[in-house]
Formats: sequence, structure tokens, C-alpha cells
Amino acid sequence: MKIFALSILIFWLLAVLIGQVLGLQANTIDLNAILDTPSAQNWLGADDLGRDILARILEGIQVSFFVAIVVTVITMLVGVTVGLLAGFYGGKVDAFLMKITDIFLAFPGILLAIAFVAVLGAGIGNLVLALCITGWVSYARLARGQTLSLRNRQHVLAAESLGATVPRLLVKHILPLLGSILMVEATYSLASVMIAEASLSFLGLGIQAPNASWGAMLRDGVRYMLVAPHYVLVVGLSLMSLILAINLGGDYLRDKMDVRTEAN
Amino acid sequence: MTPMLKNFPAFLFAFLLALPLLIACQKSATPKQEIRFGIAQAPLNLDPRYATDAASERVNRLIYQPLVDFDATSKPAWILAHGEAINALDYKFTLQKKVNFHNGDALTAHDVKATYDSLLSLKDSPHAAEFANIDTTEVIDDKTIIFKLKQADTNFISKLIIGIMPKSLVEKSHTFSHNPVGSGPLKFQSWQHDLKLIRTSDNQLITLQEVKDPTVRVLKLKKGEIDLIQGDLPPELVKHLQTMPGILVDTGLGANYSYLGLNMQDGLLKNLKVRQAIAHAIDRQAIIDKVMVSNSRIASAILPPEHYANSDNVLIPYSYNPTLAKKLLIEAGVKLPLKLEYKTSTDAFRVRLATIMQAQMAQAGIELEIKSLDWGTFFADVKAGNFQLYGLTWVGIKTPEIYAKAFGSDYFPPNGFNRGRYSDAQLDKLLAEENWPAVTQRIHTQLPYIPLWYEGQFVAMQENIKNYTPKPDGNWDGLAIIETSATIARQPQKAQLQ
Repeated sequence: MKIFALSILIFWLLAVLIGQVLGLQANTIDLNAILDTPSAQNWLGADDLGRDILARILEGIQVSFFVAIVVTVITMLVGVTVGLLAGFYGGKVDAFLMKITDIFLAFPGILLAIAFVAVLGAGIGNLVLALCITGWVSYARLARGQTLSLRNRQHVLAAESLGATVPRLLVKHILPLLGSILMVEATYSLASVMIAEASLSFLGLGIQAPNASWGAMLRDGVRYMLVAPHYVLVVGLSLMSLILAINLGGDYLRDKMDVRTEAN
Repeated sequence: MTPMLKNFPAFLFAFLLALPLLIACQKSATPKQEIRFGIAQAPLNLDPRYATDAASERVNRLIYQPLVDFDATSKPAWILAHGEAINALDYKFTLQKKVNFHNGDALTAHDVKATYDSLLSLKDSPHAAEFANIDTTEVIDDKTIIFKLKQADTNFISKLIIGIMPKSLVEKSHTFSHNPVGSGPLKFQSWQHDLKLIRTSDNQLITLQEVKDPTVRVLKLKKGEIDLIQGDLPPELVKHLQTMPGILVDTGLGANYSYLGLNMQDGLLKNLKVRQAIAHAIDRQAIIDKVMVSNSRIASAILPPEHYANSDNVLIPYSYNPTLAKKLLIEAGVKLPLKLEYKTSTDAFRVRLATIMQAQMAQAGIELEIKSLDWGTFFADVKAGNFQLYGLTWVGIKTPEIYAKAFGSDYFPPNGFNRGRYSDAQLDKLLAEENWPAVTQRIHTQLPYIPLWYEGQFVAMQENIKNYTPKPDGNWDGLAIIETSATIARQPQKAQLQ
């Protein structure tokens, strides 16, 4: 299973690189090739505007990875900072920050993202913003919980009594111990951000035409399911395999890095 | 004892058990089979004083009858009454036939008065402004009514298309919106999830079922869960249906005008050459041939060529010529590539068309940025003039007054539909003269809209459905005469899921 997940991941990462190198013609419209089945010219067939599905899949995954990585990095930075501060200081700071977190947690994430995009307007920038606004909460809760228990560890108390500053305590003595658990969380959120991006694009609120996005391709593909099933199948299977691989990768990381599971 | 008699109690029991089933079978074998019509969007309001969405207007045409309707060339045609202008301000109408409402009341001039008076008294009716010019209405006798206007209006007769409602119910503030009572060929029966209508002439039951997703609509038609569908399908699915055995597809010319609206206050788009360049940068014939249903045709004016206001008018469509377009842009002193923003709804078909136009315009040095917005935001932006280009379709337009409302300088929203804020003294003069051929010609050369096409109409139905043809404006008038023949075996009904 590990090898399976890894090989799919490597496959898609290679696809991103190949896409970068080849310089794809993903937006070239050919009205004579509309919904063509796979052929020597279009290996995976053509979409509803005669564009090469393979090229669009490769372009779509670049968008997917770009959005997922940017959103994950930003949400992690914000969430971990909030969580560390709340867990470290406790008391009123903790109560205040956690109240805010709870408010965000009370909304269904994707609905909040849809609302933000509807207000801000569609487009990749606003999409990233909307996903960031809703995504940091899980990191904050996770980091806070861990920090609370790490706060009173001997080595932290020792460093504190030796006069270490708060930033030094947080970055040098607490954060490294959070590393593994955050890594696992990041992997899962990578997958969920990809799904969220696809969902918003599926609703027409994400990446704007003519740029390729798997969500938008799925939406178009569904419309032609009866006449050109290859379109929706190719995109659906691609998305499924990537998300599955990332989640399996996350499971593997958790097994390796989470001390609690190992002890069991 | 024979085995039969020995088991008599068991037989009796089985018979009693089966009895309701037998009765049910008998019931379902009534000669008039329900006709189920799959529609993309259910009507919102069946009160003709309030209805604005296409589905409601199409249903209202069948439930109610107006004084006047339009013929094939969009000239007013008499329905309930004949009328004439007594002088510039007074119009006299005489009811022609003896007509009864569905509740049994006879339709008289009092009902006509009650309908129009209530329309005038309603402040929140979207149609009230249209009739603000009516000063008073006066009933002479049961058959005769006089409308007195405040100002002369030569098009007044063609405005009387509001369905007549019974006076007794109007006075009681009856909720026509969900319980309509009219005098048309179809009588309202019930409206839970599906809208059920009964044809008064032969008790034929007609059900309108909302099925939003086009693929699901096609599947339901294929499975025999609905009997016909009309419009709102990608052309690929229409072609797919044409190959299906047991399904008939009928197509016809359309009269609904699709266009690109331009913001005439925009620094770049103010320049006629830029607008001409855009018109020459779109290969409309290629789009029609490849991604639209058959019988779609290139448009040059809001009203189609067969319309009476257009009949002697020859408008030469703008040809696809990217080289010329580029040349025009350079002459206009525009720095290439010219960047423009195009707003459209999130509807997949609209985005698809926008993407093709984007690729075509790129050839002419125009970089089109597509913004697909949810319908509410999009339409609000269009009304507010917050756009460079937008794409929309005029549905069911019959009177040439649309030219004044869409382009007259007195008709900026909210007074009219001049969303591009186009202001042209020469056009205003022609509009005032009601010189429609000259108006159309002027608009065609000045290009406040880039004309696109009239999308073809089509209907797909089970092969036992007869007497239904698509109409140019997409209305459902065929439901008044549609037939289902019981001779062709129908596919078994699926279990009722709802």
C-alpha cells in the first residue's frame, strides 16, 4: 500500500514537472474536435471545446498543487502561531483566541468559503484567501492542545528559568516537538484543500475560464456524461487517485511519526 | 370436496387482499393518460400581475386569456376582444365570445376592468409602470369597455397582453400566485412539487415537473418517466436524443436574441471602431455550427427578420474578419492587446460560449477576461452598469418599443433597460418618430450591442406524443393541443419515488 501511494504521488509530481517543461497547449480550442474520444492526437480525448484533456489535466494539477501548497503553508503559519500563543500564555489570551477559533469552527468550512468567494468575486487569488480564512482553525486547535501539555515539560521550564525569551521558548523548545503531528495534519489538509478547490471550481466559483481546474473539468464532464463518458471518467479518476494517494501517505506518516501509535 | 372448494377460505382471503390492487389497476386504465412535461425551472408566480420569469409567463399564457396576443409577425392579434381607437386617447374594446372562467363565472367587461384597475393600484407589480399611462377604464355594458389614456400611445393595443382574472376573486384578494383562476385552455388543479393542470376541453391531465439538471432530464425522458422536454440542453445531448429509438426530436427557428452588451460610458468602448472590431472578431457562424442546436441563426437586431418592424430592412451581418478587427483597433489608437472584461453567469453553456469568443477575439488582438458570477451578483452588476461587456438574451420580445427601452437615453435603469448607458441624440429622434427600420439600421451601425444569434428551439418527446411543436420564443402553447396516443405501448411506469 505504501509503495502504491508513493508511486501515484511520484507520478503526479512528475506530471507537474512535465507540464512545466513541455509548455502545454491547454487552452487551444479546436471546434472540430469537440468531445473526441481518445486518439493519437489527443491521448485522453478532447473536451467540450475540443481542447486536449491530457494537457488540461496536467495544467489542472499544477493549479491544484499551487493552491493546496499555498493554502496549507499560510493556514499552518497562522494556525500554529495562534495555537502556540494560546497554549503558552493560557488564561485570557487562550480564552480570547479560542473563542475566535470556535466561531470559525462553528461554520461549515466549505460554506464559509463559498460565501467569501461570492462576496469577493471568483478567481484564484480570492479562492486562496477564502480557503485560508477557513483552514487555519484545525492547526490552531491542534497546536494549542499540544502546547498546553508541553508548556510544563521539564526542558521548557528549565529553559525558561535560564532566562530564555518567549519566542525562543516557542520556536526552539516547543515547536520542534509539534513538528511530526503538524506534518501529518498538513498532509491531510493538503488533500482536503484540493477537494475544496475542486468543489468551488465545480460550482463555477473557483478558477476562471479558460484556465484548467479539475473541479471545473468535472462540472463540464458531468454535462456530457451521456455522450462522452471518457471526459468525466478521466478527470474523476485522476482526482480520486491523487487524493487517495495523499491520504494514504498521511496514514503512513502518522504511523511512522506519531509516538502514541507506536507505543500501542 | 374439490381442491378448489377446500381452499375456498384461502381463495377468498387472497381475493380480498388483491381487491384494492384490482381496483387500482382499473383506475390507472382510464383512457386519458397524464402527460408529463420536464422543465428546467419551475414557475415562481402564477399571478399575471406579478409574473416576470419565463416559466410563469409561459404557464400563464395557458391558464389565462388576454385581450390581445401576437401573431407570427408579432403584430397584435385579437383574442378575447376586438377593439379600436375612438380618438388618440380613447380605446374601445368589445368582448367577442362567450367565455367562462374556470370557477364558472362568465367573463365580462367588469372582469377586464377589475384586472387592469388592480394592476394600476398595485405599487409592487413589475408590470404596473407599463400601464401607468391608463387614466381610467369605463365599462359601457357587459361586453364593452373603454380605456382612457393620459397620453397618446400608438402601441397601446399591443400592451394589453395581461391575462384577465375574475372580478369576484380579484376583489377578495385571492392568491392567484399559487392558485390561479383564468379562462384559458388549461385549468389549474394542484401544485405540490409538480404543477398539475387539466385541459378543460377533454380533461387531459398535464403535469409540469421541475428537473433542474439537464442530464437527469434526458435520462428521465429516456426511461419514460417524463413525456417531453423543451430547450435548455447542450446541443450534444440533443444530438444524442436524436439517435435514440422511441424519442422524437423536433427543432424550429428561435426568436430570442443573444447579444453582448457594451458599456458605452467606458473610455475604450465609447469608440465606434473598437466596437466594430469586437463585432468583426467573433466567428458567429462557427459557433452556431459547432456548439449550438440546429436552426440557430445569426442575429442582427433584437427583433428577428420575420418581425413586422423589420420586414423591409436588410441588415448585413458583421463578418468574421480578425485582420480587419485588428486594423480597426490600431486605427482607433488602442494599444494591443486590448484588455476587456466580460461578465457572464456561472451557467456552463454561457461560460463555454464565452471561452470560444475569448479564443476568437485573441486572434484580433483582444484579450478577453471572463468573469463568471453567480446570477444575483451578475444581474445586479449589469443593472448597475458595473461592466465592460456582458452576455445576455432577450426572451419573448414582441414590440419594437424594446428599442426605446434598451437604447433610449431616457431609459437608463431603473427607468428602462439601457444598461450600457447609451446616449445618441440621432437615435432618440428616430425612436420618437417610431421609424423602426431607421432605428434598427442606426443601432446596427452604432453597435451599442454586439448582436450574436437567435438560438434554435427544440423539443424532445416520446413517440406517442403528438401535436406539439417548438415555438420561436420557446413558449409552451402546444400544451393546449398536445395529444398522447394510447395505441403505442408505453414503457412501464417506474415506482413513484417522491
